[in-house]
Amino acid sequence: MQLKANRWDARYFQMAFQVTFLCYGFIFLHWGTEWLNYFLFIGTGLLFQFIANSIDKRKFSITSLALGGSWKSVLVSCLSLCLLLKTNDWYICIAASAVTIFSKYIFRYKGKHIFNPSAMGIAAVVYLSGNAWISPGQWGSNMVLFFAIICLGCIVVTKVQKLDVTIAFLGTFAALLFARQIVYLGWPTDFFVQSVTTGGLLLFSFFMITDPKTTPDHPVARIVWAITVAAVAFYLTAFKFINGAPIWVLVCSQPLVPVLDHFFKAKRFEWEKPFLELRSLL
Amino acid sequence: MKKKIALVSAIIIAAPMLYSFCGFYVSKADTTLKNKTSQVILVRDGNRNVITMYNDFKGDTKDFAMVVPVPVTLQKSDVKVVDQGLFQRLNDYSAPRLVEYYDENPCDGSYKRKDFSSNMAAIKSVSLGSVNEDKAEREYHVKVEAQYIVGEYDIIILSAKESNGLKNWLTDNGYKIPKGAEEVLDPYIKSNLKFFVVKVNEAEKKKLPGNFLRPIQISFNSPKFMLPIRLGMANADGDQDLIVYAFTKKGRIECTNYRNVNIPTGNKIPLFVQKNFGAFYDNLFTYQWNKENQDVSFLEYAWDVSPQNFMKCDPCIATAPSEQDVVQAGVWWLNKDWTDYSDVNEQEEGDGTSPNVHFTRLHFRYNRNHFAQDLMFQVTPNKENYQARYVITHPATGSFTCDAGKKYLQDLKKRRRGELNELTALTGKDIETWQNMAEVKNDGENVKDAAYASLIDQSKEERQSGNRSIAGFVLLGAAVLGTGAFMRSKGIV
Repeated sequence: MQLKANRWDARYFQMAFQVTFLCYGFIFLHWGTEWLNYFLFIGTGLLFQFIANSIDKRKFSITSLALGGSWKSVLVSCLSLCLLLKTNDWYICIAASAVTIFSKYIFRYKGKHIFNPSAMGIAAVVYLSGNAWISPGQWGSNMVLFFAIICLGCIVVTKVQKLDVTIAFLGTFAALLFARQIVYLGWPTDFFVQSVTTGGLLLFSFFMITDPKTTPDHPVARIVWAITVAAVAFYLTAFKFINGAPIWVLVCSQPLVPVLDHFFKAKRFEWEKPFLELRSLL
Repeated sequence: MKKKIALVSAIIIAAPMLYSFCGFYVSKADTTLKNKTSQVILVRDGNRNVITMYNDFKGDTKDFAMVVPVPVTLQKSDVKVVDQGLFQRLNDYSAPRLVEYYDENPCDGSYKRKDFSSNMAAIKSVSLGSVNEDKAEREYHVKVEAQYIVGEYDIIILSAKESNGLKNWLTDNGYKIPKGAEEVLDPYIKSNLKFFVVKVNEAEKKKLPGNFLRPIQISFNSPKFMLPIRLGMANADGDQDLIVYAFTKKGRIECTNYRNVNIPTGNKIPLFVQKNFGAFYDNLFTYQWNKENQDVSFLEYAWDVSPQNFMKCDPCIATAPSEQDVVQAGVWWLNKDWTDYSDVNEQEEGDGTSPNVHFTRLHFRYNRNHFAQDLMFQVTPNKENYQARYVITHPATGSFTCDAGKKYLQDLKKRRRGELNELTALTGKDIETWQNMAEVKNDGENVKDAAYASLIDQSKEERQSGNRSIAGFVLLGAAVLGTGAFMRSKGIV
């Protein structure tokens, strides 16, 4: 999959959509009480990125944050935390940001980080601290149309989103749910519709699993990998009743990505111009 | 356990109530069974579940039978009956509350604060009857997994291969199946659920004093943390209310497949609401429920009720549930020798070592259109206390001749206009709806100038100008977006 020429970095659009969702939550879903969490996720995320970047380059400079172009990725990751992670403790917010950012620098293979930063941050604090959780029901189901339009809009506008991953994941997951809920168990259609239209699932499919930095480079490997993630997530959701299964499966499956990259060689994805990418490899 | 309790049930809404369990009633006669408010206690830790279902069956209990889908075959030791007063106590303790404050007279005055509880209990009595004996049949592809008597109930655990068999078995054994139940039976059978069929055992019933059916409590291990409401919709007309009282070790529970909304709390409302708090809350709930598009789970109360936590509510409107109540509700990890609760799983990890108990009260109003799925829950580590609490403030007494007193009267008027607007915002009812109540003499002569009835018109004006500013913001937002889009399309940005 080639990167088409695009005037704007795709991450600007991602951020814009994530902020839109956050505003939707603020205005319609009463999320206003969590503003401190959002502030902490984003503020400490940027701070940690600055620290990590400085250490990585052995150079402390205020401009290093902006020059790396990494602030966009940081904001996208931190906005994902805002949209998915729930906690009552300020230190959990900081811990989540820290794991999100530092995991990019600690777990890396051949210059590519292994774990999706926000998925890693979420999984780590939910499992290790026991004081954070994911709220699968927080979106309700009446925002689906809004959500779908926004997500599709995002893809159409940016063209850079790895639509193949989203389609492979969401398609497999939805197809398996359909087979189980409608064909096998015989629930009415609205039962199935409610299962696949949760905001969390769509957010995951469009904004988390698609992160081109942590998916296999080769299109075939990427699709096979997305289908596998979907199948395992479906099994855990439908038979083991685990909430937020896609995120756990994503984190657990990411060590496979370097293996797949080894066998399926393809051009590495780059967010921007090559020289900036080289810079971040230093 | 055998206390004589003749009156049961308290549900906060003083409207007429219908009822359904999470299962459905199958009636033997043509009695029309109506449902409205169910109450369920859920206790969950790890994979262990204890579910207690309140029974306020009305009508001839000869016709009483109940079917609840359960994930495993329950043995006799997994089923028990509990004291009916338990639900009343939990409801009283966690119901939305009104708090009273007293203003201080700025000219002299002493400050008082009093907690006032308004308990909107509706009391109903239940009569008893008997049901026929029942036989296991093989030709229906229905298997009787277990059969026993617990308290006043005959219990059969059925498993079925297909819904027709189950339906025929029930029909041929003299039960009337509600319309629409068959479609929902099928998915449950295929999910490998068992059916917990309960009837009243006449002989056992006669041994008991009182004229009521006690709540049934079931315990089992399952990773599924859910309530099967879909069966209950089979014989429900319209909307049904469900109150869930949950106890966990870690923190609040929340719904995972419907949105969780906290019911508004802490609002200052006019003094006259005190006279009819039940109607106020009913209006509030209905309005908020419609505003949230109906498909939500409302949080009404959440508190740390661990034995070592002495502040179980603030303000308390009723006695907090005792340790015994909590154990009876099914909290096995508090279980001690003094209870008769013998059916706990002793292998449970951390047994007896963690005395934390967190209580959650959720309020659902469901209907077929907005609730396609059963209610799924999760235990979260959210330990924050929460209560639905509304504040009324009494004006100061005495005369306000001093300068501060005159200012106080002005402030009082302003505050009361705010209270009237708050009332409209919470209940969605225009202020005229409350006019009669507002016009009743609410307070003394000294605050005549600030009487609610005289402030209604002013508060209405205030609200309309408020609406205008909201409309302004919306227009402004649209304009900014429009400009952005235009600039983008022209390639300016």
